[in-house]
Amino acid sequence: MNIGGLIKKEFGRIKSDKRTLILLFVIPVILIIIFGLTTGVGPTKFFTAAIITRDEMPTYDNFPTNSSQFDDIFISIMQHNTTTWDLHQFFNCTNLEDYDNAFDKCIQFIKNDIVDAFIVLPENFSESVENKINPVVIYYIDGSDMTATSSIEVAIQEPIALFRVQADLLENFTIMVPYLEFDVPFWESQLLNYALPMILPIIILGTTMNLTSLSIVSEGPLPRMLITPTTKREIILSKLIANTAIMILQSTEIFIMSAFFGLYSLGSLFNLYLVLIMIGFCGICMGLFISALSPTEQGANQMYLIMFIVIIMFSGSFIPPELISPEMQYVINILPLSHAFPLVTDIILKGLGLNLEHVLVLNLNSVIFVLLAYVIYRFKKIEV
Amino acid sequence: MVEVNNLNVIFGKAHIVHNVSFTVNEGEVIGLFGISGAGKTTIIRVLTCQIDKKNWNGNVRVTGLSPANKKNHPKILSNIGYVPQLELLNLYFELSPLVNVEVFTSTYGMSKKQARRIAKELFEILDIPKDTWKKRVKHMSGGEKKRLSMAIGLIHNPNVLFLDEPTTGVDASKRYDILSYLKKLNKKLKTTMFIITHDLEAALICDKTAILREGKLLEFETPQKLILSLPSEGLVARFTVENLNEELIDMIKKFEPIRKVLRVGNEVIEILMDDFEQNLPNLIQFLINKGIKIKSMSRDIASFRRFFQIRIQEEEEKEKTLN
Repeated sequence: MNIGGLIKKEFGRIKSDKRTLILLFVIPVILIIIFGLTTGVGPTKFFTAAIITRDEMPTYDNFPTNSSQFDDIFISIMQHNTTTWDLHQFFNCTNLEDYDNAFDKCIQFIKNDIVDAFIVLPENFSESVENKINPVVIYYIDGSDMTATSSIEVAIQEPIALFRVQADLLENFTIMVPYLEFDVPFWESQLLNYALPMILPIIILGTTMNLTSLSIVSEGPLPRMLITPTTKREIILSKLIANTAIMILQSTEIFIMSAFFGLYSLGSLFNLYLVLIMIGFCGICMGLFISALSPTEQGANQMYLIMFIVIIMFSGSFIPPELISPEMQYVINILPLSHAFPLVTDIILKGLGLNLEHVLVLNLNSVIFVLLAYVIYRFKKIEV
Repeated sequence: MVEVNNLNVIFGKAHIVHNVSFTVNEGEVIGLFGISGAGKTTIIRVLTCQIDKKNWNGNVRVTGLSPANKKNHPKILSNIGYVPQLELLNLYFELSPLVNVEVFTSTYGMSKKQARRIAKELFEILDIPKDTWKKRVKHMSGGEKKRLSMAIGLIHNPNVLFLDEPTTGVDASKRYDILSYLKKLNKKLKTTMFIITHDLEAALICDKTAILREGKLLEFETPQKLILSLPSEGLVARFTVENLNEELIDMIKKFEPIRKVLRVGNEVIEILMDDFEQNLPNLIQFLINKGIKIKSMSRDIASFRRFFQIRIQEEEEKEKTLN
């Protein structure tokens, strides 16, 4: 039989359904504008830091003594005394080569989400404390998380306050933030770009899930099709192909609209486009799964809503995963948005390539849902 | 064309169809009649490969192939057409009639050109207005949708067409139109047709009628033969009686040659009896003697509707006696 006819039918149905077209091509644009102008992203959480101390390196300032004991106190406070910070690692640098290596490592820590910030204590740190001169602390932040950035600025005050008590220091600290690592430059559309890593996956996954499930459940002649030589497998395949083609169109539109409204991407635009398509495909597979389980449009809508809320709530962006039990964390790690958000964030704000683990789990979701849908459809009684 | 021998359909503990057997020849129109739960749809589901073999047994062949073998399903499904009761189950309302045709013909591997040619032929036979061919189905009238649905069922020129309640939801005035279109198609295309229906008027176009009750086939014959099998070859006396009630009916039944008294209206009864011509004057005299006021009377030949009513009543009475 000719599967082309079935695919053409899918296009025809979608083309003639104004509600679907609005859902697919108008709502995403409106959401990009609304979300882009009104929301930020990311959680406020406890932070992890690394410290590079250059205190043992010689200082050429004019101090009576050359000391280096106060960096240890600061490190110890970061390690044991603060409630907001967790110290991942510290680097004691005695020369510039050590410092360069440590700096590179810390940049990698930020890129890989191992730390939220790293602090550099300068050569004259202990001398400044000893001589009651304002000590300087330099810190580098993961600027891809806008709300976290401001929280870090507040949180850094805690170890400094504890240190001042312990060092009996009345003088103020000078905090230097030389460069917010991976932030969106101020001349770009900051709100939109901080929002995009979250709203792009939500829009694409949400609309494709909904469209696919409803387009199947609402298809009256679907059971009738089975009284032709068409097989269930061919019907599922035609739906998968047609919806994927529509989703690619939709992703392209969203991609272009995002660019039009000031998309700022440090990473490869091709990778971003690819990720959007992978997210959309996952939505289609989930939609198929919903349609396999739902006998009516109302049922499909309810199931979609429940699934979508769970996927968003446990994406790791609303409820910090570390606050959830290890068993639930395992579940969270399977859900598609838990991988879609970091993938888009990595590309747009960190300029990273495709994280294979995220790509694998995201596509594994697609495979699992499509297989489940196929199995359910195979045993599902569909009668005219 | 279709052979059914000792068909039994069983779902769990429910025995839906009991030992049904019949044979249908090429080009015949068969009406499957019966009240709800009679098993009409179940039989058609077996014939259209919709019921798993584990749920039925018996020897069934559709266009020479057995639905018991799954490998035969694509071939059987290519040889048959199906028109469901509701058009929304057969038509994509958001697409045009021609695109609907293309969708369904593509499932049979037919080319677009071929599809359009056959569609044109069928649309013309079924009087589907040309100006609607490229408009969306949802803008068509109820009757046009019904006819389009029939055309879709026939689009691949099937040997056998199954129609589920083709006149349901159609205005009384248009019902006969639908039936005559079916007869027209049957004559022109020589397609064997199975009509599942509650509408007993459909018997008018049927070559054979099957009457089913609770999964059992009571009759499978031409409607004419069935009517002729009634007492006095189906001759009925129709009386309009003043103040008709059950007591009066019981009194009338006492006239010995009477075989059946059917109340067919508020004041109307139909009477079937042995030796109709000889006994009719005696019956009238009997009624007058009993003081029954006859407003009017006429004689007629029983309709299929009446036969169906009598046959079902007989079965019910038989069942009551057994219980």
